[in-house]
Amino acid sequence: MNSICLQTNHIKKRFGGVHALRDGSIEIRSGEVLALVGANGSGKSTLTKVITGVLPKDDGDVIYRNELVDYHNPMAAQKAGIMAVYQELSLVPSLTVSQNIWLANETRTKFGFIDDQTMNDKTSELLQLFEGTFQSSLHPEAYVKDLPPDERQIIEILKAFSRNPDVLILDEATASLDSNQVNRLFDLTQLMKAENKGLVFVSHRMDEIFRFADRAVVLRNGSTVGDVLVKDSNEDEIVKMMVGTEEGLTKAYAVDTVVPSGETVLDAENVSNERLDNVNFTVQRGELVGIGGLRGQGQSALLHALFGNDYYTGNISLFGETHTFNHPKEAMKYGVALIPGDRAVEGLLLLRSIFENFHLPNWQAYARPFLQMKKAQKDAQKVSDQLNLVMESLESPVSSLSGGNAQKVVIGKWLLREPKLLLLDDPTKGVDVGTKAEFYKLLKTLQTGGTTILFYSSDEKELLDLCERVLVMQDGSIKADLSGDKLTEANLVYHSMGASNNTNSHEEPTHV
Amino acid sequence: MSEPSKTKFARWWKNLNVKHALGLPLVLLVVTTIVYFLFQPNIFSGGTISRLLTSNFRTWLPVILVTIGQAIVILSGGLDLSNGAIVSVGNVILALTVTSPDEPMKNLLMVLVVIGFGLAAGLLNGFFTVYLGLQPVIITFASSFIYSGLALVLLPSPGGAIPREYTNFYRNTQILGIPLALIIIVLVVLIWGFFRKRKYGRFLFAVGGNPKASYTTGVPVTWMKISTYILSGFFAALAAISYTLLTGSGFSGSGDEMTLASITGSVLGGISMSGGAGSVIGAVFGGVVLGNIRNIISSAKLDSWWRTLVNALVIVLVLAGPGLINLIRRKK
Repeated sequence: MNSICLQTNHIKKRFGGVHALRDGSIEIRSGEVLALVGANGSGKSTLTKVITGVLPKDDGDVIYRNELVDYHNPMAAQKAGIMAVYQELSLVPSLTVSQNIWLANETRTKFGFIDDQTMNDKTSELLQLFEGTFQSSLHPEAYVKDLPPDERQIIEILKAFSRNPDVLILDEATASLDSNQVNRLFDLTQLMKAENKGLVFVSHRMDEIFRFADRAVVLRNGSTVGDVLVKDSNEDEIVKMMVGTEEGLTKAYAVDTVVPSGETVLDAENVSNERLDNVNFTVQRGELVGIGGLRGQGQSALLHALFGNDYYTGNISLFGETHTFNHPKEAMKYGVALIPGDRAVEGLLLLRSIFENFHLPNWQAYARPFLQMKKAQKDAQKVSDQLNLVMESLESPVSSLSGGNAQKVVIGKWLLREPKLLLLDDPTKGVDVGTKAEFYKLLKTLQTGGTTILFYSSDEKELLDLCERVLVMQDGSIKADLSGDKLTEANLVYHSMGASNNTNSHEEPTHV
Repeated sequence: MSEPSKTKFARWWKNLNVKHALGLPLVLLVVTTIVYFLFQPNIFSGGTISRLLTSNFRTWLPVILVTIGQAIVILSGGLDLSNGAIVSVGNVILALTVTSPDEPMKNLLMVLVVIGFGLAAGLLNGFFTVYLGLQPVIITFASSFIYSGLALVLLPSPGGAIPREYTNFYRNTQILGIPLALIIIVLVVLIWGFFRKRKYGRFLFAVGGNPKASYTTGVPVTWMKISTYILSGFFAALAAISYTLLTGSGFSGSGDEMTLASITGSVLGGISMSGGAGSVIGAVFGGVVLGNIRNIISSAKLDSWWRTLVNALVIVLVLAGPGLINLIRRKK
C-alpha cells in the first residue's frame, strides 16, 4: 500500500445556514488516483477548495506530509505543492495561453524581466501532450477568450501540470472534453502516478471513475460515507453509497415510449449561419429528439437559432407557420423555451432570489393590472416541489444553491410558462446522478403532456436512454438521423466521429 | 484571410490593436493633431512647432499624469474618482507653503509631503475598496469629498504665489530642444515599461482580466488592487506639483475637472473600462488627444462648455461603440 501524502480529518464548513461539509475525511496516497464521488451539493468542491486554501475551514484537520497544515490562500498551498484544476476555470480570458499557464509562476530573466520567449517554448512542449485533439488555432500566443471550452479546459489542466505538484486535484476536469482529450488526460495521470504523485479525480462520469481511479471515496450530504478500492467495487455499489437509498437506483426514466402524433411541430429547411451548414429536419408533436455528436459541432448554435437568439438564413416553421424570430421574446410568444448550457451566464441572476429567478420570464401572466404576488408565490412553491428543490427558502439567492439545484431553477422558470417546444442545451453537464434521474422523469412527464422536446446532450448514454430519435451533428450539419434499431451506441459514435475518421472506418456501420 | 497574403503593415496594425489596443488612440492622436495644426497660422515657419510643443505639454502634463494613474487603476478593474481632489489638496499645500526661493530644503520637504499625501490618500482608497468590498466608485467618490473638503479648509479662497524661479524653470526648460514636460512623460512611460515587463505588469493585467481566477492561481490580488490606488494617488501628487508650477498659485477646486478628464483620457487611450486591456502609453495618447480637443475648441472660438460636451460625448461614444457595432451586426 502506498504512503499517505495528504489526509483530511472531519473537515466542517458552513455557508450561512447550509452545511456544505459535515465530516469531510479523505486520504490521498502517493502514486494513486483517488476518485472523489458524490451527488452535486455533497461537498466535493468545497472539500477540494479547503485543501487548496481557497476556502477557510470551520473545523477539522488537514495533514500534509505528516504535518498539520492550514493554508489561508491558494498561494500557500501551491508553494507546498498542492494544485487544483477547478470546475469553474481559473483562466484570465484577456491573457494568452502561455501567460495563463505561467501566471504567478513566470520564467524570468536574470534581471527579473518576464521571459515570454522561453515560456512560449515551454507552452508548446506542454501542448504536445494534447497534440491532435485541438484546433490549430490553439498556440501559445492565442488569447484564451478566443478558445472553445474544451481547449480552455486543456489549458487549465496544463497550467496545473506545469507547476509539477505533489498533489493534483482534477475537479470535473473531463466535463467539457471529448473522448480523445480524455484519453490524453488519462495518459497524463498515468505519468504522474508513475512519478509517485497523489491525484484526486472528481467526476460524474462513472466509466471514467472506473478507468482513472484506484480508490473511490464517496461523499453524501457533506460527510464521507465510503472508501472502496475501485477494482473490488462496481457501479451499483458506488451509486448506492452516493444516493443512500435503494430507490435512487431504479431508472426513473425507463417509462413507456410515447407515440408521436404525426403532426409536424418544427420544420427546419437549409438553416445556415456562421456555425451551421444547411440543417434540415422535422420534429413531430410530443417527440423527444436528441441531438448528439462531439462537443461544439453546432448543437448549441442550432438551438439558439431556433430560439431567435442568433441570426440564420433558411427557413424555420413552427406549428405549420413560417417564422423569422429576431429576438427570444418572439420565440417565447409561440411557446418556445430554451434551457441554456452555461447556467451561470445565460440562465440565472445569481444574486437574486430563487423566487425572482423563477418568475423572471413570467411576470406578464400575473399582472392584472397589479402583480398577484400570492399566486406567484404559490406557483413558485409548486414548481420547486415538483423539481424537488433543496433550498433554505424561495427568498434565498440562487448563489446559495448547489450546481444541480441551480440548474433546476433554470428549468423551473421555463416550466412555469408551460412551453410547447422545449430546447435543452446540454442541461445535465456537471449534474449528479440523482438530479439527472429526477430530470429525466420530468422530461418524460412533460413529453406525455404533449410538450415537444429537442435535447442536446454531450453524454451519449443519456441520449440512448432517453430519446427515441437522435440527430447526430458534425461541423454544423446533421450527419445522421438515428431511430429504432439504428439507434445504437456504435452508430452514434461512428457518426459523431465522422465517416472520414480512419480509426473507425473498419467498423462497418450497421445501416447505410 | 491567409496569413502570408497580408501586408507587413496589416500585421503590424493588427498586433498593435490586439496586443496593446493602440489603434484607435493612434488614429485619434494623428487626426486631432492635424486638425489642431490647421488652426495654427505659420505652422511651418521656424520655431512654431517647438514653441507649441513647449506651451502645450506644460499645460497638458497634469492631466496626462492623472490619466496615467487612472489608467493603471482601470487596468486592474477599479476606478478612482478621487484623483482630482488629491490634486487640489496637493496644489493648495504647495501654494500655501512654497513661497520663498530662499528655503530650498523646506520647499523640497513640502514637495515630499504632497507626494506622501498622495500615497496615503491612495492607500486609504485601496484599503477601503478591498477590505470593505464596496464598489470603488462609491468609495472613491466618498473620499473625494473628504479630500476636496480638506483643500477648501486649507485655502478657502484662491491665492498663494509660487516663486517665479520655480515656475519659470518648469515652464521654459528645454533639453536638446525637447520641453521638460515631454521629457517627464517619456521618463514615466519608460519607467512604467520597466514594470510592465516584470511580474507587477503581468499581475496587473491578470487581476483586471479576472480577479477570481488570478486569486485561485496565486496572484496577490488584494495587494495588486491596493497598489493601483496608491499609484493613482502618487500620480495625482505629481500632477499637483506640475499644476502648481504651471499656474504659480493655489485654488481649492484646481483638480475638479481632472477626474472626468482622466477617465475620458483613459477611454480614448484604448483602456477597457472593465479592466485587463489597454496600455499606459495609450493613456498618454488619450491625454494628448484631450489637450488637442481643448485647443481646437478654443482656436475655433467656441464656448468652453463645448469642452465638457465633447468630453461627455467621447465617453458615451467610445463606451457604446462595441455595443453599437453588435447591434448593427444583429440587425443584418
